[in-house]
Amino acid sequence: MDPWLEITLSGFLGGLLALERRAFLQAMFSRPLVAGTGMGLLLGDVSAGLAVGTVLELFHLGSANLGAALADNETLAAAGTTAAAAALGRGAGGSTAAIWSAAIIALVWLGPAGRMCERALERYSEHLAEKALLSAEEGDLTTAIHQNLWGMWPHFVVFGLFTAACAQAGYAVSHYWELLPFWAARGLAWAYPAMTSVAAAVAVRGSHSRRAAAYACAAAGAVMLIGAVRGLFQGHP
Amino acid sequence: MKVEIGNSASSAPSVNSLGAGLLLRVFMRSLFLQASWNPRGMQNLGLAYALYPALKKLYPERERLNAAVRRHLTFFNTHPYSAAAIVGGILNYEERIARGKEDAGKVTEFKSALMGPLAALGDGFFWLSLKPAVGAACAALVPMFRAWAALIFLVFYNVVHLTLRARLFWVGYTRGDGLIQEIGRVDLPARGTWLRAVAAASAGGLAAWLALTFGANEPGYLRWVLVMGCLAVGTLAYWFVARKTPKYIVLYVAALLAGTAGAVL
Repeated sequence: MDPWLEITLSGFLGGLLALERRAFLQAMFSRPLVAGTGMGLLLGDVSAGLAVGTVLELFHLGSANLGAALADNETLAAAGTTAAAAALGRGAGGSTAAIWSAAIIALVWLGPAGRMCERALERYSEHLAEKALLSAEEGDLTTAIHQNLWGMWPHFVVFGLFTAACAQAGYAVSHYWELLPFWAARGLAWAYPAMTSVAAAVAVRGSHSRRAAAYACAAAGAVMLIGAVRGLFQGHP
Repeated sequence: MKVEIGNSASSAPSVNSLGAGLLLRVFMRSLFLQASWNPRGMQNLGLAYALYPALKKLYPERERLNAAVRRHLTFFNTHPYSAAAIVGGILNYEERIARGKEDAGKVTEFKSALMGPLAALGDGFFWLSLKPAVGAACAALVPMFRAWAALIFLVFYNVVHLTLRARLFWVGYTRGDGLIQEIGRVDLPARGTWLRAVAAASAGGLAAWLALTFGANEPGYLRWVLVMGCLAVGTLAYWFVARKTPKYIVLYVAALLAGTAGAVL
């Protein structure tokens, strides 16, 4: 696929996911695991989508918009980071743990950045609400009612542009990726499991369970035991 | 909790009064509840947008329709899923108001009385229990099912979400004030406790599984360095996050330490 077409498609999907998260349905298409996988499928790199989506799903597991409080925008973080990782992998000749790490390290801040954008866009929605009230007072009910739908396009455009910019950045960086020394690539590859462990720990905390640590330790212990028994039978040390 | 507003005895309209098609239309439009969420009126535009087709049918006279729309352009905020119950309940009220059997102020009282409790219920069950549980469980399924894990996420979550959302809308419409008793019967908080335990266990199990998997990629003693390193990083990260250290700082520090180890070893 042509890179510019991929960048455009990633922006389009990023915009749709932003709408699903905020304005319409909230059926979790915008959760990092789903958004990352979807973006990976679109850009032909499912591995990058799953790798980024899993880490960010766990990292943002417990966050939610409660009342008027806004949580970090996990959708933008997942869509943008996956778009960048997939584009970088495509340009660099393959999807690796080093690329996933580099994308997450560089773009995980999109979560807080997206939250700030949402806050800024609320001013536009406030203007729409005022216009709706004014129209209702004047008896123009159709205009008043349809103001609700006008609140969606800024989200689509802003978050779509962010995502497309991430894909573009991924392609731009891919030209220089081969200059990365081996030790740096290996270091980045080791950073990925560490970030996954941190994300899992954040998820345990974000589960809001009163005995979160106990449940997590019990499950981790069971998995380690099964792994050790399997290793024993397969002759690993 | 007991909320007594209006006349519950007459709060059982038939589908025919608004029509199944119109009810479905209002329900579908209620999915846009947050399209223009704003700090002042919050979900007010979304609520008026959802109700508009029904109000147009109930109030053919321009003056009454205008008044009905304006009473729903006032402040409104609740959980977007449990809002379906209030939207259904408002239709129940508006039918009675249109027939002259209820005072128009009662529907505002109904909204005010329910939006807080239903927001707390929705946040507690959907946002803080169901979403983390399904998210963590499906993230744990990624190593086995790969991209299908995302589909499993959508199916599991939305079977519960859409069923409850549609059910809440119907209960609100048919029972009016009686929806409180119906919702209480489902006992969502008790189910939430169980779901939160699933989320914690899934995240812990996945962390251990990934540590073993990443370790398996390294030769000799480095295998155990990586496995134990991952588990130690996870434990330390939990400790720091539990003590309010910003999670972004913990993530960057862990990446830096592991990256340095990978570059040097």
